Amino acid sequence: MVNLNNRQELPDAPVMHFVDGKAVEPRDYNWLERIGRFLVRPFVEAWHHRDLIAAILRRELRERFSGSMAGWVWAVLAPLISLVTYTLVFGGSATLPNKAQSNSSIDYALFIFGGLVAFNFFTEMAYRAPSLLHEYAHYIKQTMFPAEMLPIISTLRATTYASIGLALMLACQLLFTGTLHWTVLLLPLWFVPFLMFLIGITWLLSALGAFTRDTAYLMMTIAPVLMFATPVFFSHETLGPTWYLLMYANILTGFIETIRDLVVFGRIPAGLVIAWTMFVSLFFFWFGYWFFRRQQDAIADVI
Amino acid sequence: MSSDTEVVIRAKHLAKAYKLYDSPKDWVKQQLVGSEKNPYYKSFWALKDISFEVKRGRSLGIIGRNGCGKSTLLQIVCGMTKPTKGEIWVKGRVAPVLALGATFDLEATGRENVLIGGAVLGLKRQEILQKFDSITEFAGIGAFMDQPLKLYSAGMRMRLAFAICAHIDAEILIVDEALSVGDLAFQKKCVDWIDNFRRTGTLLFVSHSTGELSRLCESAIWIDNGRVREAGSVADVARAYRRATFVEKDNMKRFSAV
Repeated sequence: MVNLNNRQELPDAPVMHFVDGKAVEPRDYNWLERIGRFLVRPFVEAWHHRDLIAAILRRELRERFSGSMAGWVWAVLAPLISLVTYTLVFGGSATLPNKAQSNSSIDYALFIFGGLVAFNFFTEMAYRAPSLLHEYAHYIKQTMFPAEMLPIISTLRATTYASIGLALMLACQLLFTGTLHWTVLLLPLWFVPFLMFLIGITWLLSALGAFTRDTAYLMMTIAPVLMFATPVFFSHETLGPTWYLLMYANILTGFIETIRDLVVFGRIPAGLVIAWTMFVSLFFFWFGYWFFRRQQDAIADVI
Repeated sequence: MSSDTEVVIRAKHLAKAYKLYDSPKDWVKQQLVGSEKNPYYKSFWALKDISFEVKRGRSLGIIGRNGCGKSTLLQIVCGMTKPTKGEIWVKGRVAPVLALGATFDLEATGRENVLIGGAVLGLKRQEILQKFDSITEFAGIGAFMDQPLKLYSAGMRMRLAFAICAHIDAEILIVDEALSVGDLAFQKKCVDWIDNFRRTGTLLFVSHSTGELSRLCESAIWIDNGRVREAGSVADVARAYRRATFVEKDNMKRFSAV
């Protein structure tokens, strides 16, 4: 019989061992260890596959701009035009919620733009996620490809566009008001939970999308509606108290409010809002991961 | 320490069922209220009972008709899909030369495809860059390395794919009827390379040609309808398989048993 502990000959040889469809762990773990291992697993795996993630990401980014002469200029031009449009259209007419510190038209444009950066980031993921695994079906079926890394890769790809939008927003703020609020230093604390939220959502939607195309139609149907159920063009602070609280049931509200507070108004968001968005993003991250892993074997068979 | 006798692949009563749903609705029902006992899917058993062992440095040939479960078995050994029942134990880095070039992107150049293909097979970027010249030399496609893959012929793509697989320092090589595309010179190069690999590594070789099988393997198994029908030395298994092909006609209803 084979001695499982005999590691001398192949010191780092990976061992794959399944009995009746379940992976055999080198030893038994108690429930606390199991939870701990589950929580760190997405990070451990992402680190393990970092070169693969980088290679595919590089290809995806190149694909997006290959065949166009101006390349990255388009990625900057599109959000710039929309920012200018909002400034011109909403410039004189709209007012900011009374708590706002200033009321210039550029502030309102930035107010909308901040909402759009977050919302577009979300919709880009929501539209692509259901078909994501189909796009990579030949990888998943025919190579030992870690499919659970695909949502991370596609979220990172979308991050590049969101970052361009965010940089543009900061540049305009600096250009027109001559100063940046110190709170922009806290933006990474907004970005990381938002990324985790989006990766979690993508895990969930891509696993569902692998089984039924309805997921894609569902997202195409609700995303435009969601735009008006999300305070992108208005502030939910102007709504009545019932609606005000109800808006937080829409998870994006907290994220949009936070980015506006940090960049446009220069204030720290309310503690409850921070706690709520944090909770939601962490919940979706691990729930999405759990769901994806649960379906992963079936995914490779049906896709 | 007996490296000659150490088992690197062990399969015991492997079985694999694919779940077939009539409609996506059944899948949702299964997720919400279904159970193993009262399922909303039909099971299709691609593998029913497969047992074998491969020791380090040995090579095992796998033979069988289309649809007998060979590919499913290889996918399980590679870890692409999990067995439903039974035990599988694999030790060492596996290089699947299955469906060569599955990761190829026709718009990208050969160079870019080497970087992606190597990464998918588990190489670090630094390792790929170090081996790049060697890969180019093995593929022997010269200046085409910097051209997009859509300009390659089928043979050239295959050369590139095999060159990548030959450079990932695998302990277990899995070759699935892949060698038939290249020209004779390249086929010989591949077979020579596999011969060299066999000195240290383990080989799983799938082929319909009993000649190729006898050339590269010591023992073989014949899979028929998800079960091992014959196992032993490659000569015995190949003889039994050839004899059966004469006697048993190609069954038209073979795939309709689902």
